[in-house]
Amino acid sequence: MIPIEYWLVFSSLLFVIGAYGVLTRRNAIVVLMCIEIMLNAANINLVMFSSYHSTLHTTVDSTGQVFALFSIAIAAAEVAVGLAIILSVYRRYQTVDVDKINILRW
Amino acid sequence: MLEYAWLIPVFPFAAFILIALLPKRTLWWEDGAVYAIGGALGAMCLSFLVVWDVVMGDTLIDGSQRFEWLVVGDFSVTFGIWIDQLSAVMLVVVSVVGTLVVFYSGGYMHGEGETRRRYYAEIMLFISVMYGLVIADNYLLMFIFWELVGLCSYLLIGFWYERPSAASAAKRAFIVTRVGDIMFMAGIIILFKYVGSLDFADLFSGAGVAAVPSDMMILATALIFGGAIGKSAQFPLHEWLPDAMEGPTTVSALIHAATMVKAGVYLTARSYPLLVQAPESLLFVAAIGGITALVAATAALAQNDIKRVLAYSTISQLGYMTLGLGAGGYLVIHADSAAGYSAATFHLMNHAFFKALLFLCAGSVIHAVGTNDMRQMGGLGKVMKITSLTMLIGSLAIAGMPPLSGFWSKDEVLAAVWHAGEFDPAFMMLWVMGIATAFLTAFYMFRMWFMTFAGEPRSDYHAHESPRIMTVPLMILAGLAVVSGFALFIGDGFKAFMEGSIDGLLAGAGHESVFDVAVEIFTDPLTYLTLALAIVGIVLAWRMYYVPGFDRSVFAKGFNGKLQRALENRWYISKFYDDFAIKVVYAASLVADAFDRHVIDGIVNGFAYLGGNMGQVLRRLQNGNVQRYTGLIVVGICLLLILVLYVLPWGGW
Amino acid sequence: MLEGIPILSLVILVPLIGAFVTLGLGRYGKQARVVALAFSALAFVLSLLMTYEFVTDPTSEATGYHNGYQFYEEYAWSDSLGVSYIVGIDGISLPLFVLTTLLCMLAILFSWDTEKRQKEYFGLMLILEVGVLGVFVSLDYFMFYVFWEVVLIPMYFMIGIWGGPKKDYAAIKFFIYTHVASLALLVAIMAMYFEAGLQTFSMEAIAAESVGFAKGVQVAIFAAMFFGFGVKLPMVPFHTWLPDAHVEAPTAGSVLLAGLLLKMGGYGIIRVAIPSLPEGASELSILMAVIGVVSIVYGAMLCLAQKDLKKMVAYSSISHMGFVLLGFATLSQVGIVAGVFMMFAHGLVTAVLFMMCGVMQHKCGTRLIPMLGGLSKRMPIAATLMTAGFLASLGLPGLVSFAAEFMVFYATFVKWSLWVLVPVVAVVVTAAYYLWALQRSMFGPMTDRIDTSHLKDMDWFEYVPVAALMALIAVFGVFPGLIFSRIDSAVEIVMRLFGGG
Repeated sequence: MIPIEYWLVFSSLLFVIGAYGVLTRRNAIVVLMCIEIMLNAANINLVMFSSYHSTLHTTVDSTGQVFALFSIAIAAAEVAVGLAIILSVYRRYQTVDVDKINILRW
Repeated sequence: MLEYAWLIPVFPFAAFILIALLPKRTLWWEDGAVYAIGGALGAMCLSFLVVWDVVMGDTLIDGSQRFEWLVVGDFSVTFGIWIDQLSAVMLVVVSVVGTLVVFYSGGYMHGEGETRRRYYAEIMLFISVMYGLVIADNYLLMFIFWELVGLCSYLLIGFWYERPSAASAAKRAFIVTRVGDIMFMAGIIILFKYVGSLDFADLFSGAGVAAVPSDMMILATALIFGGAIGKSAQFPLHEWLPDAMEGPTTVSALIHAATMVKAGVYLTARSYPLLVQAPESLLFVAAIGGITALVAATAALAQNDIKRVLAYSTISQLGYMTLGLGAGGYLVIHADSAAGYSAATFHLMNHAFFKALLFLCAGSVIHAVGTNDMRQMGGLGKVMKITSLTMLIGSLAIAGMPPLSGFWSKDEVLAAVWHAGEFDPAFMMLWVMGIATAFLTAFYMFRMWFMTFAGEPRSDYHAHESPRIMTVPLMILAGLAVVSGFALFIGDGFKAFMEGSIDGLLAGAGHESVFDVAVEIFTDPLTYLTLALAIVGIVLAWRMYYVPGFDRSVFAKGFNGKLQRALENRWYISKFYDDFAIKVVYAASLVADAFDRHVIDGIVNGFAYLGGNMGQVLRRLQNGNVQRYTGLIVVGICLLLILVLYVLPWGGW
Repeated sequence: MLEGIPILSLVILVPLIGAFVTLGLGRYGKQARVVALAFSALAFVLSLLMTYEFVTDPTSEATGYHNGYQFYEEYAWSDSLGVSYIVGIDGISLPLFVLTTLLCMLAILFSWDTEKRQKEYFGLMLILEVGVLGVFVSLDYFMFYVFWEVVLIPMYFMIGIWGGPKKDYAAIKFFIYTHVASLALLVAIMAMYFEAGLQTFSMEAIAAESVGFAKGVQVAIFAAMFFGFGVKLPMVPFHTWLPDAHVEAPTAGSVLLAGLLLKMGGYGIIRVAIPSLPEGASELSILMAVIGVVSIVYGAMLCLAQKDLKKMVAYSSISHMGFVLLGFATLSQVGIVAGVFMMFAHGLVTAVLFMMCGVMQHKCGTRLIPMLGGLSKRMPIAATLMTAGFLASLGLPGLVSFAAEFMVFYATFVKWSLWVLVPVVAVVVTAAYYLWALQRSMFGPMTDRIDTSHLKDMDWFEYVPVAALMALIAVFGVFPGLIFSRIDSAVEIVMRLFGGG
């Protein structure tokens, strides 16, 4: 059994890397990829806590793992929608630089 | 009869309603004078019946007829009527003078055209509320009528509203008397709190008086007397009365000489059962009276407007009455004697007759000459025989010449003050002021008479005697000025009559017989001193204003000049009030206005401005860069986490 | 006679229907004034019928009697939130309720010659009437607040569309200022709701619980409510919306604003704040009194400095509503009854004054006092009515305000002894500014600063409402007991909270 702290550090690192990418990268596709990394950090947490919970109470409770599956499915859909948006933005503006796509302000 | 006394004010009030609301062509003679005369006569007849009952020894002071005005919890106010000897005296005054003035107006207001309707309506309203004031049995009811007579005074002073001076004088009269009115109101509120009722019957009973702590009693009585200071034009609130001469002369005669200004004296006399509990207030009353008498008499010396002379003389005489009441209270406390009280009320009645007479004579003169300025008159005695003669009677009466009415009452007042001096030396000083005033009174009245009627005309006018409708009231009043003084000796005498209204305060002292009263008057050396001073005053006036060749330039320079100017400017009191109103009150209001607009509203607008600008600033954060938003979200979450995990537990939540 | 008829709802419904009819007149828009007058008159007649049935000393036999309220109606609306439609009337709301139907009718009559967008104008007035009537009879916080806010909207449009030169500024200031106050009120209502925890907005139910709140809670909620109601009243220093709104509003708008909207503030304090939170009220009574006295004196001083007749009258409202606050602050039966009566009296008097300002505006084209002068010669009716109105406002005995002022002073003296002399002095200032204004505008020589060649006296639709109001002012001045007895029995119930009064 790997201690829970390891998992936590790992998922935090993943989350922070993803967040860093979201905040700093200009390319919309890269930002989308970073969002996926953050989502996976959350999925890892779900699975990890689910297993931790089962161990703690010596039961089998897979709710968390089911949620992780849900999350992965939705992430897939999200990627599809996100890429579609990025593609149409690219068609419209000839760029996927998020700094340039700012007409929705004010 | 007494139970029908409440009908007295109803007559003139009905006349008021009729004159105000009837269509124009049904007003008949003189635009409503018929209704006015009818209302005044009806009220007079009923008043006489009531007064007759009182003279026969009947009074209505048990509060049997009551009308519930309002009841709120334990606060209840009921109104009724109160007829005693004091009310009877006022009823006589109001009914006689009121009726005669209404008749006289038929001639005096003849040239006024359509505005007469307003005049008669307002006069009728005044007479009605004045009766109401006199028969009220409750301080609050009295206060209501008190304010309403003030309203009528305001309306009638401003009768010729197109004249800026009249409009201004009306306003000043109302505001200045209102200063007194609020004191009156404050006084009765104090009484109300402690006694729980404002009925005279409750307040004047032993239990009522005992319920008020003594310091509050002093305050309440002084404040109530404050109402009298305003209404009866006592120093220092007396300056409105000379200004009030802007109204028609009939109004001056009725309201500003005979009736309304007496209301203050009436109020003070009415409050005797309370006043005698507070000797400090009595001394205050007397001092105000004495000062008023002297200050007004001096100011009368230098006036050239015939009505202003009379106005100052009215103030001065009202001061006498107040002085008499103040001294009378000491006599009640220390000597069980109603001498001062009866003297003051006696002077009230006599003064009403001769002062109404003097004003109506002045009205007759003004009617004939067309000006108030005595410097433009002179020599009128030849053409206006009745007016000059009746005015002479009035002047002699006010100067205190026997056997006219003024002699008896003024002498009684001064004797009472002298007598009170035994109990408090302050009254000796007030007595000196009183006899000085007697001297001045004789002097300025005859200065006026000589300037008006004697010598040669000093301007171009075509005077003629006034019509009969004006001169007959003059003659009746002159007759009253001659005989009303003898009321002192009719029956048991006026003094014994008046004692009836303050019975409860006198510990059963024996009545003086009429004979004793007469003996007292004629054996007292002070009587002759006063009389001598008055004669000196008349002679001096004759020397200065009748005998030609008197050099008046000595009044123009040096100290005399300053004094002369101070007198002409009425001791600068009026100017002081004007300055106070403009430079203090109005200036303060301008400051308040600027403060309101710039500071208070400035803060409000500042908030609005802040709101607008904050929007401008915050708008810049919304720059469309999603990554910036995300960054802020992350920072925000971190801050919230820190808050929840570290700060709140540290704070003990 | 009114057995089984939901008379209160009916009175509220009539102007609402009237408003829809008026707004939907289409090309018959010219008749809007007739339709509006008819509906408002119907509401007035119904409210009079109700007054006739109202019993002074309520017993269980009275029509729709319920805990001191009469003509009580209750319908559940939303059980999950605890919102219900509850209306009822007692002696405190009755004078104000009838005053509302009366003033709306007269204000509609007074605006007879309005030309700009008549349908909307008269329709909005009727909607305003609905809102004010609703406030005065609602016994459910939710309804109360809804009606409270409904009132703002028509008034905002009346100022903003039919107003004077600075109407935009005035309208938005009026709206935002009073709305901020409403939010404080909303917070207070929510606090009461959750603190009571009864799942109901019924005033009575909450009040039964809230009198037992801890002192700190009571003070906090009372302070919020006091702010919410006080701005409407208005109290110094939250009064500056009032002169601006009045100066810019059309005459009828001013009449309703001063005659009714200000009363909502005072009504809220006595209906909601004091009986629900007696301890909070006791704690803050000194604050209320100080604000009341400052309003009285400061308002009077401001009047003295005004050049615009209407602005002067507006400031005088601040001064007079100070009396209401002072009366309430005494927390004594006499003071509270006097305060309620003062609201009624002020409603009548101030309507006359604003109508007279409107007459000056229409006939002379200006309300600036220095421009006027000597108008009595040409406008005797106007001068008479204006004088009468001013005298009523300065508290002349025999006219309606006097009894209220006297009793407020009495209650103040009983509670705070000689401090009463401070507001008493303001009475003189009040006389001074009214009479001075009268002297400068009506008396003296005829003005040559405006064109007076076509000056004429008041039109019929102007003097009929003013004369009717003056008649009522005189009647209730001579017989204040007619109303006092009704207010008294209602206030007695409130006073039981303070140890039987």
